[in-house]
Amino acid sequence: MIGNILISIAFIAAVFSAVMYFLNYRGYQNALNFARVAFHTMATSTILASVFLLYLILTHQFQYKYVYSYSDTSLPLGLLISTFYAGQEGSFLLWAFWMSIIGVILQQYTSVRGDLEPRVMAVYSLVQSFLLLMITPLVKNPFALIYSEPFMASASTINPQLLNLPFLADFVFSDKATGQMYVKIDQSLVDALQSAGISLREFIINGRGLNPLLQNFWMQIHPPILFLGFSSMSVPFSFAFAALIKNDYREWVKQAFPWILFAAMVLGLGIMLGGYWAYGVLGWGGYWAWDPVENSSLIPWIVAVAAIHTMLVQKKTANENSIGAFAKTNLVLVILSFVLVLYSTFLTRSGVLGDASVHSFVDPGYFAYLLLLIFMGTFIALGAGSLIYRWKYLQQITPPQKNLLSREFALFTGAVVLGASALVTLLGTSAPILGKSVQIQFYNDMNLPLGILIGLINGLSLLVKWKESDGKELLKKSTFSLISAVILTVIMYFAGVKDFKMVLFAFASAFAFFVNAEIAFKIIRRNIEKAGAYIAHMGLALLFIGVIASSKYDKSIDVNLVKNEPADVLGYKLIFTGYSPTEDGKYAFNVLIEKDGKRYKASPIMYNSEFNQGIMREPDIVAFITKDIYISPLSYDDGTGESSGTVFELKKGETIKFGNAEIKFVDFDFPAEMRQKMMSGGDFTLGAKLEVKSYGKVFEVEPKFTMSKGNRTPIPAEIKDANIKIELVSLVANQGTVKIAVSPYQTETQNNNVKREVLAVTASIKPFVGLVWLGTLVVVAGFFIAMLRRLKESRS
Amino acid sequence: MKARYYIGGAIILVFLGLLFYNFTQTKIEYESDFTKVMQSGKVCKASGVWVKEKSFQENLQDKTFIFYIKDAKNNEMKVVYKGTKPNNFEIATNVVVTGKFENGYFLATDVLTKCPSKYQGQNVNTSGS
Repeated sequence: MIGNILISIAFIAAVFSAVMYFLNYRGYQNALNFARVAFHTMATSTILASVFLLYLILTHQFQYKYVYSYSDTSLPLGLLISTFYAGQEGSFLLWAFWMSIIGVILQQYTSVRGDLEPRVMAVYSLVQSFLLLMITPLVKNPFALIYSEPFMASASTINPQLLNLPFLADFVFSDKATGQMYVKIDQSLVDALQSAGISLREFIINGRGLNPLLQNFWMQIHPPILFLGFSSMSVPFSFAFAALIKNDYREWVKQAFPWILFAAMVLGLGIMLGGYWAYGVLGWGGYWAWDPVENSSLIPWIVAVAAIHTMLVQKKTANENSIGAFAKTNLVLVILSFVLVLYSTFLTRSGVLGDASVHSFVDPGYFAYLLLLIFMGTFIALGAGSLIYRWKYLQQITPPQKNLLSREFALFTGAVVLGASALVTLLGTSAPILGKSVQIQFYNDMNLPLGILIGLINGLSLLVKWKESDGKELLKKSTFSLISAVILTVIMYFAGVKDFKMVLFAFASAFAFFVNAEIAFKIIRRNIEKAGAYIAHMGLALLFIGVIASSKYDKSIDVNLVKNEPADVLGYKLIFTGYSPTEDGKYAFNVLIEKDGKRYKASPIMYNSEFNQGIMREPDIVAFITKDIYISPLSYDDGTGESSGTVFELKKGETIKFGNAEIKFVDFDFPAEMRQKMMSGGDFTLGAKLEVKSYGKVFEVEPKFTMSKGNRTPIPAEIKDANIKIELVSLVANQGTVKIAVSPYQTETQNNNVKREVLAVTASIKPFVGLVWLGTLVVVAGFFIAMLRRLKESRS
Repeated sequence: MKARYYIGGAIILVFLGLLFYNFTQTKIEYESDFTKVMQSGKVCKASGVWVKEKSFQENLQDKTFIFYIKDAKNNEMKVVYKGTKPNNFEIATNVVVTGKFENGYFLATDVLTKCPSKYQGQNVNTSGS
């Protein structure tokens, strides 16, 4: 109840505050106080609701559906906290939570800068209203009780002492496919429990738990940072829209500047943390897979970065007589970056990506789908509508561009190229809406030339001067960078970068790096405040070089490692030394990596997950300065034969081939006496009559197995002359099929009892992956420095 | 002044042309009718349900993972995937394979498992006892 009330209050207060702020802007002086009180009420309620949800999670109140669905009692504190945003409802609440925190700061920020507050806060409150609407009790309610709709809870999560209550019989079901027991929890069960004096909280004592894929360190930081990025993207939008409302475009760029830098910094960091998660834990092999969910947060980031550059021009060229260049472009880009955040949310949460993405949410239901559409549609309509409405006036006041060889124009060109890259990615990502999909090659092919241009413009734009530049002087200034870039490109060429486009990309990135490094080096000693842009650009260039080396020139190979037998792999000696259990109940497979007398250890992890009902795998990385050695586990065979060999399923009379042998399934061997034993639960033996043809000879064999108290003991059939061993795995009498495992007959495994333990892994060498992460950190640092500088300027 | 707009316009047109061309070249259609998948022989994404009764084969020697999927009309298709069993395979409600049909089976380069439980609470369809 408390949660529902808090969210409802927050929603109503948000709407009220938006209306009051707008009325205040229209001249109702009294409305300002109402608006401020309402806004703070909204923020307080949202924060309290978040605290309350966290409290429910931490105290394991499984009578709440959300708590039940994502957490359990075994999770350590950090992961338990992270279940807050493991589902749709909670992640919307997290978003609204950040919006509240940012909103309180924004209210303070705008209240001391002219007449900004009513306009900006009206827009911002409107955005928040929509977000809160998504989690009100009628839509995706994080505080829904588990029995609000009949819910099937696994019997293992129910208090075992209460499972034999007489009236429970009507509520217990079993899933025939898996044999699992479920208890149907609905209003009538709750009533029955109540009359027996049992609360639901005593009844349900555990939850479903968190998907093991999410159970790691990155789950604790990637989503919160990403959502902070999403939230902060709505601030520059609010400024742009506020400018359109007032039809005054002089100040907003300066005032929104630190905010958009903050948003791009946080969102960029969030995106790359996701990349690191995919690389280091999920075992995707790379940090970027052009997965629609990754793309959908990258697109608004690219557009925001484009906006930052053209906003800089407007800020620089504005004076008493002119609002500055690219006023229209800036409005369009900033509005677009926010709309794209909403579009991203729509794509990932509406279920439209269903079949296309590894981690899209499932269909949220028709009502939520419609609301998401309305949410997105409203802001597209508002943004586009007001732009069209003001366009004629904007056209009149925007000064014309003059010189092609100027920093203004270079920055604009940069923004256009960034826009093109965003468009490419947007088109590919949106393809599933049309029932199509694109190959990854599409993104790579289209973005590579754009990347080359971005590198070149990145360098050039800093060499040309504002307003007008001289060609000769430009050449003189770029000497150092050009020469250094050529040298580095030649080195990379001889190191293996031979593909023409890649050479160009390498040169462009190196050029950008040296231009920025040269300037940053001069500036940092004098005035580090002004070095933000150069540092960020350097970081991007480093990241590009890392991308070139690691994605195009990695080497990868699948190998079988026999225990304690060294194998030569990609110039290293790999030795599998056995496995050891980890603290959290998984298994670490220890692989020693040796080269030149040095020894490193990688311990990729595999474990059987009850939650996912399958084997989960996590890679391990040995990181060097120049490369990563990436060991990703594939499978493990303990040599006892259970899973050795190839499993075939055969119908009566069907023939399969294995090596040089043809194996035909003739008939079951399942006499009536055995059938009776099976029915009565006793021990029994089953067999399958097979006919094996090999090198012209025919063998009749019968692999069998014995079942004793549920344990299967195989009695395999071995044919030395055909060099095969056949084991009966299972038999489905009513379908007339058997499953057999066929493997080569090896005398060595027969004669000695030594088990051949084999670990299959994918071993890869990924050169200079570290530059991707280093580059990211440098970019973030650059954004941060720039943000501080622009924050100072916004006060003047 | 005007020349600049023409040049800019031309560049944009060329880019859009390239974009469209590339898009049509690399796009992959979704196909849920396996008879069409088997006939076309083009790279596509086929989505279907794993045939549990036929289990799966994991071949450690050449690292293939073989299973059968069926579409809504119960057309079965053998899938050979170069790789190991994907995470969440057994609990997947739906399997999406990317690749093409040749030599009597679907050679998949990618297998995507869609799980009801991955991010959302599980709704189990039970057969009442």
